[in-house]
Amino acid sequence: MTIIELDHTADIRFRITAVNIHDLFKESAKALMCVMYSGQAGSQISRKFSIKAENLHELLSMFLSEILYLSDAENIVFSGFDISIDDTYTTLSADLSGDPFIRKNHGGGSEVKGISLYGLEIKDKDGMYIVDLLFDV
Amino acid sequence: MTEHSLESLIKRSELEWEVPIGYIPGMRVPGTIFLSESLKKTLEPGAVEQVANVATLPGIVRRAYAMPDIHWGYGFPIGGVAAFDEEEGIISPGGVGFDINCGVRLLKTPLTESDISSKKRNLIETLYKTVPTGVGSRSDIRISRPELEQMMLTGAKWAVKQGYGLSSDIINCEAEGAMPDADPGAVSDKARSRGLPQGGTLGSGNHFLEVQVVKQIYDPVIANTFGVKEGDICVMIHCGSRGLGHQVCTDNIASLSAAAKKYKISLSDRQLACAPVHSKEGELYYSAMAASANYAWANRQIIMHKTREVFTKLFQTEYDDMHLVYDVAHNVAKREIHDLNGHPAPLCVHRKGATRAFGPHSTDLPSHYMESGQPVIIPGSMGTSSFLLHGTKKAMDLTFGSTCHGAGRVSSRSKAKKTVSGKEVKEELLRAGIIVKAPNDASIAEESPHVYKSSTEVVRVVHELGISRLVARLEPLAVIKG
Repeated sequence: MTIIELDHTADIRFRITAVNIHDLFKESAKALMCVMYSGQAGSQISRKFSIKAENLHELLSMFLSEILYLSDAENIVFSGFDISIDDTYTTLSADLSGDPFIRKNHGGGSEVKGISLYGLEIKDKDGMYIVDLLFDV
Repeated sequence: MTEHSLESLIKRSELEWEVPIGYIPGMRVPGTIFLSESLKKTLEPGAVEQVANVATLPGIVRRAYAMPDIHWGYGFPIGGVAAFDEEEGIISPGGVGFDINCGVRLLKTPLTESDISSKKRNLIETLYKTVPTGVGSRSDIRISRPELEQMMLTGAKWAVKQGYGLSSDIINCEAEGAMPDADPGAVSDKARSRGLPQGGTLGSGNHFLEVQVVKQIYDPVIANTFGVKEGDICVMIHCGSRGLGHQVCTDNIASLSAAAKKYKISLSDRQLACAPVHSKEGELYYSAMAASANYAWANRQIIMHKTREVFTKLFQTEYDDMHLVYDVAHNVAKREIHDLNGHPAPLCVHRKGATRAFGPHSTDLPSHYMESGQPVIIPGSMGTSSFLLHGTKKAMDLTFGSTCHGAGRVSSRSKAKKTVSGKEVKEELLRAGIIVKAPNDASIAEESPHVYKSSTEVVRVVHELGISRLVARLEPLAVIKG
């Protein structure tokens, strides 16, 4: 599993590589939190949600957008991402854990305004799943 | 994302480059990018492709335009302008961006540089403590749900009614600080819950509050009309609709992706999700976007109020002696009437990283700017010049009343952080007499002046083209970076 930052002039772009779809989603969520916050977070708070999408890339975009919403609206820094995805890759249930945002512990990141769909495509290459993510900051 | 050669661009004049039909399949009109030779060297293939993508959208009229601060974004390029026929055309959140009504306003004080020089550090520290800044910051203003409703309906007027400003501020905002078609009912509960604690906060990234001095006047007559003269201390505020607007964009990209399929609109980029302007989905987005735009005007109004209070406290400046020169949006779609082939045409004009630049005698201008055209505020990068310009008839004729919005990035944030540290940038700026305050050094490195095009060259191009004309140059003295 790798998270590599790619070049993008205006925003922040990552290439996520993982051995399966579950890990690809988890690593994508970690990349999002890495941009927004610094430091470590524990698991004082948990949040659960389910989403349904038409296809896999939409599922990933909705998953990340939901985490972004919860994090921004409730000021939570998430660190744990327990997820289950159905066989058709259209339904996801997530059980997230994290800590309340504390500036001295977690400050220093950038607000992410949204998860762009530009170039968002999950590829299966040599047994690895790869996606390029673009976060508007 | 296929990369195309820049060699197939056609030079139409010293400052105009054409993206010809056929650059990518499905283009309905050509694209035009306004660039000088030196700015052309910074042009990215990804940004040109995004101009071409915009040109494939249904109902686009005349051309897909890009201003000289063009850079690679998502959906439209940053610096993109396109107008769509209201009957045949579309509306797209990809032509507005996540930060709906990200914009900038300029506040003029009666002070001069010598009045503030000994208190500059204290000034910026006090402003930093007063205006919540950075990730996770929350407003000290409690906004109730009914108040949020009014904020989304009446924008800057709501803020002034709450005591955050002067009634004269309202007419000095684009659209008088409130788009009339806003419908809070179209804004989701998620968006509302993000907006409630963030009214009057600056945000992060390229958002800033900058104390500036007017260093040069290019057009004394219009500068006088705008109320600025050499030596004046001004404050420039750059931010948008915060989490509320971001969520509205996210919500509507999902619904407009489905709408694009329903209306059989072929998309070359998923971020260009769209629907016909007057479809149910298009109307819903427009009214939610307008509500977010109004939130942004109220947000900047509150920040300006807090700024005035700081000046009053530190310099005993009369609150009423600090006047808003103007407030402009640079991420918005608006229904406007423009001349098309000699006839007035109702169009949906998208400006993404582009500023409205309405010329003399245009609608929506206050009477005191009717002869000059509207003030156009172009921020520089941290440490470089910002500019005050005015809108022109040429802009009305050529670009649907639009011009550039800033310097435009040339380098990514990650590259910036590898090249220079925030501490180094801060020290370099301090040597030039500019104090920078930010939640952390990384954000200073990311927004270092080195990663931006020259704002001077960008405004030179729009000035030479005549789509806005120079009035004044402002230099930074102290900056809060979000």
